[in-house]
Order: sequence, then C-alpha cells, then structure tokens
Amino acid sequence: MSGEEEENAAELKIGDEFLKAKCLMNCEVALILERKYDQLQQMSDDPMNQVSQVFEKSLQYVKRFSRYKNPDAVRQVREILSRYQLAEFELCVLGNLCPETVEEAIAMVPSIRTKGRAHDDEAIEKMLNDLSLIKKFE
Amino acid sequence: MFLKVKLPWNVVIPAESLDTKGLVLQKSIIIRLLDEFAAKKATKDLGYLLAVTTLDHIGEGKVRQQSGDVLFPVVFSGITFKIFRGEILEGVVHKVLKHGVFLKCGPIENAYLSCIKMPGYSYTVGENPVFRSEKQPTIEKDVVVRVIVIGTKWLEAEREFQALVSLDGDYLGPLGPES
Repeated sequence: MSGEEEENAAELKIGDEFLKAKCLMNCEVALILERKYDQLQQMSDDPMNQVSQVFEKSLQYVKRFSRYKNPDAVRQVREILSRYQLAEFELCVLGNLCPETVEEAIAMVPSIRTKGRAHDDEAIEKMLNDLSLIKKFE
Repeated sequence: MFLKVKLPWNVVIPAESLDTKGLVLQKSIIIRLLDEFAAKKATKDLGYLLAVTTLDHIGEGKVRQQSGDVLFPVVFSGITFKIFRGEILEGVVHKVLKHGVFLKCGPIENAYLSCIKMPGYSYTVGENPVFRSEKQPTIEKDVVVRVIVIGTKWLEAEREFQALVSLDGDYLGPLGPES
C-alpha cells in the first residue's frame, strides 16, 4: 500500500493486495464461523473456552448483521452480484447493507459511479431488484 | 470488511511432540497453528485474525540446531477483519459519553463517533444518557448505527485497531434498536 493517507474505500483505494483479495459478506462469514463453532462444540464440552475473543465477537456481529440466513440465498446473492462487474469490496458492501434505492446504493458504494464503468441507474436498479427478490423468497 | 486470506506461517514443533506417525505430526502442526493464530489476535496489515479455514500446504521441516525443535513452513487460508477509511458499515452503540459514543463493529470494540461528527444531534443528560435529534432517531445504547470510517489507527502494544467514524453523509445514521 503506497502511503496510508491515500486509503479511501469510497474511491476503491484500499491497496492492491486488498483489491485482489477475496472479500466475504457478513452472511458468508456467519455460515463459516457457525460451522467452525459446531465443530468445536463436538470436540469439547465448553466450546466458548476454545474460541478466541476475536472469533466470539465476530460471530455475534455477523449473526446480527446478516441480511440473508439461508445458505442457498447467501450463494445466490454472491452469484447475482457477480454478474455486475463489481470489485470484491463493492460486492460485499452491497450484500451487507442491502440498499433499497439506486441513490442509496451509490451513497454506500460511490466507486460504482466512477468514470468508465458501465453502471447506469438502470443496471443498478435491476441489481437491487434481483437482491430484494432473493430476500422475499428466502 | 471480512477478508479471505492465504497466509504463510512458521510452526515450531517441540522435539518431544515429534512422532514418527505422519498423522499425529500433522495434528500437532494444526493445533500449534490454531493456538498461535488465536494468540496473535491481529496484525497491522491484515487486521483481526478470526479463523483458520484450511491448511493448504506443509513444507519440509527444518531441525533447529540447539533445541532439536522442528520448524515447519505452512500455508493456510483464513478469515480476517480489517476496516478501511471510506468504508461504510454498521455498528452497535455500547457506550454513550458526553462527547460522543463508542460502537462495536465485529471484533472492533471502540469505533468512536464524536458529537462533532453527529450533525443535528445534542447530548441529553440522564441515567441513560442519549443523543437526540429533531429529524433522526435517538442514538442510545444498543442502537444500530450506519457510519462511514474516517480514520483508523493500529495500536501495536494492545494489538488492537481504533476507528474514528462519522455520520456525515447520505443514508448514514441510526437504524433503530438492536433486535
């Protein structure tokens, strides 16, 4: 990362290594951590002794902030959002916050409107509609 | 943001834990890795270390001359949590002070929202102090707030991150009490 001062997720300046890194939505993390937690439960009587504080706090957080709970829905959200040429980071912000309007989506992820990217209001609208459909049928 | 990372790590297995049976050795490497991973808590570059998901590769062990311990270079995949400046995320208020509130965002316990960054809000004293606004819902303990990160700081000694957050922006603010 070149100079910490420049970091700005709103313009998608988060450093090359993170831009390429795979991001995870809260609902995906919830599925992974819950499975881990179950595994630990089988291995020991008191799984809370086995997990770190970081794990425990994160699990609480992602359980609270997952818009989708059903594993199939979670998979579909990623699949649908992947159709829109988004960066991993943008995809996950949208999946986490589930904006309801085009205006809100742009406020949450301003970088989708930067020059040269093919995201007009219509495309964003369609993406949000697809997302709300998953929620409806979950 | 939660990240899926691939990390190299060096696992040292004490001489007495070495075993000729391959599976047992693999198990001690995994246990050792999990312990060290949890103890490390966070790193400046990757953020908080949550969980190891898979052990992808175990390299050739190298014997250490003095102790007879063996060092194994391993590569594993795991999940981390890092906050970025400019990122928008949601947190839960857990402490209300005169000059602002503290939010919990995942493993980060002290994301600070200063009253300067809460336009329209003013502090109300009481047994349960709150921040009130004429236009937006009240900010008090256990309320979920959507904020933008305006600064982050790594504290080396505590192995913790601190964040400064703000409500200055469209579609930011409290979303109602935590259910």
